[in-house]
Amino acid sequence: MDHGGARPIWAFLTGPYALFLFVLLLVPFANIAMYSLHPYSPTKVFLPELTFDNYRKIFDLYYVRLFGRTLRLGLITTAVCAVLGYPLAYCLARARPRWQAVGLFLLIMPLMVSAVIRVFGWIVILGRKGLLNQALLGLGLEPVKLLYSETAVVIGLVNIFVPFMVLPIMASIERISPSLEEAAQNLGASWYRMFGRVILPLSLPGLISGCLLVYSLSISAFVTPALMGNSRERLVGQQIYDEVLVSFNWPGAASLSLTLVLVTAALMFGALFATRRAGRREKAS
Amino acid sequence: MRAQVPRPLLPFVVAVYFGLLAPLVVVIAVSFGPSAVFEFPPRGVTLHWFEAFFASSAFVTAFFRVSLVVALLAAALATVLGTSAALGLVRFRFFGREAVETFFLAPLLVPEILLGAALYLFYARLAIQASIWTLLCGHLVICTPYVIRSVTAGLVGLDPRLEEAAMSLGATRVQAFFKVTLPLLRSSLVSGAIFAFIISFSDINLALFLSGPQSTSLPVHIFSQIQWQGDPTIAAASSMQIVIIGLLILVVQRIFRLRLVV
Repeated sequence: MDHGGARPIWAFLTGPYALFLFVLLLVPFANIAMYSLHPYSPTKVFLPELTFDNYRKIFDLYYVRLFGRTLRLGLITTAVCAVLGYPLAYCLARARPRWQAVGLFLLIMPLMVSAVIRVFGWIVILGRKGLLNQALLGLGLEPVKLLYSETAVVIGLVNIFVPFMVLPIMASIERISPSLEEAAQNLGASWYRMFGRVILPLSLPGLISGCLLVYSLSISAFVTPALMGNSRERLVGQQIYDEVLVSFNWPGAASLSLTLVLVTAALMFGALFATRRAGRREKAS
Repeated sequence: MRAQVPRPLLPFVVAVYFGLLAPLVVVIAVSFGPSAVFEFPPRGVTLHWFEAFFASSAFVTAFFRVSLVVALLAAALATVLGTSAALGLVRFRFFGREAVETFFLAPLLVPEILLGAALYLFYARLAIQASIWTLLCGHLVICTPYVIRSVTAGLVGLDPRLEEAAMSLGATRVQAFFKVTLPLLRSSLVSGAIFAFIISFSDINLALFLSGPQSTSLPVHIFSQIQWQGDPTIAAASSMQIVIIGLLILVVQRIFRLRLVV
């Protein structure tokens, strides 16, 4: 192991990407922070005065509702992802290597396909004359108006984000030795009792980090609500997109973005912390 | 010894997979269907929409001149940046190493839509016009962490003494790296590069902000076509992306551990 020495080789190796991230990640967000403190004018791109109005605006009824709706849909999405993802994660973690490989492929392949394509698939399924309504008509039932509703947005978001729930849970279940499960069952616990007493508590860090990950991803979603949602019930991501590219209210967009960044950064570091601590505890034991 | 998964869970898991894959299956089916409205199941098989795709200059430009070019460049550059960063992080001990590591993975923690907006406003302040280069720079920010992750995983499993042995036999540090370490890292390098390609190729959130009228990427073009209620050419383009990405992930699964990259 090298300790740097006279020539700090590590600096040459890590320097390029560090510099790159400084210019294209830190500086742009500093730029946003600056924009958010200047007033908006419909005629001028930039006014020199400083103001907190852009942040005060977030407490207007329109924005409170916007954030309320976004955070609420994020919670629903996260809960559904947890319910659907946990059993999947458990089965994948305990599957034979061959099935695990197949399961992981089928989980990661859709994750890597562009979100817009998966949303397109749902539009075909949920649309007015879509697959679902044809099936309902075929069964002699009333067609439903699902597309362009909150339900549709939740379906789309869950579909996109389930893998982000499964992967961390699966990792934490894999760390639990199967012999622990056997021991509990040999001592007379039913599978369900063993699950509640052994697996669930030990996999909690994975569940927590999965939930935080899915929540922060879903409150900043844009494509799904833009294509599957009701245009009158928008989410924060759409508002930011519109203020940047449609109404050119850059200070407004900046304050919204920064607020959302702070919320998600806090959640993400929480997720990172939860998994790291679990990793350390495992090393210690 | 393996724990037994309770039987009632299996139908549930199959149902979740069904929901996960349903949109992709439907998109592929629609792309082969004869109907001009999105119809599932299709009433026949035709390649009409693929012909329409290759006949549409907007689609061809978005696919071959923008998305493919940017993704290939992003993969190549991210591999160089990421491999060098991973080497520095794994092979050397220095003050603040953990902080640098967290900083390098930070792009994965920032919501892409916000990164896109931030880069857009940054370019706007510098009066830089949107082009494939602005898009490429944005993609490098989000692609490189995947290379760092897979190369780090590869390096951790590699004995540093191999390199030291080469050096004690007279190789310089650079020679030892290129003759010993690099060939042994091949599979994790290729996996990182493939993931960098995939992330760039399927990105929409950054591209919505960073691709200009001359550099519309494929996902952005699909997005606007959906908004304007286009025809199943969208499905044909989507099917091609699905197949490319599926094949690439199969390759990664063959040569490396998928889990270490994602």
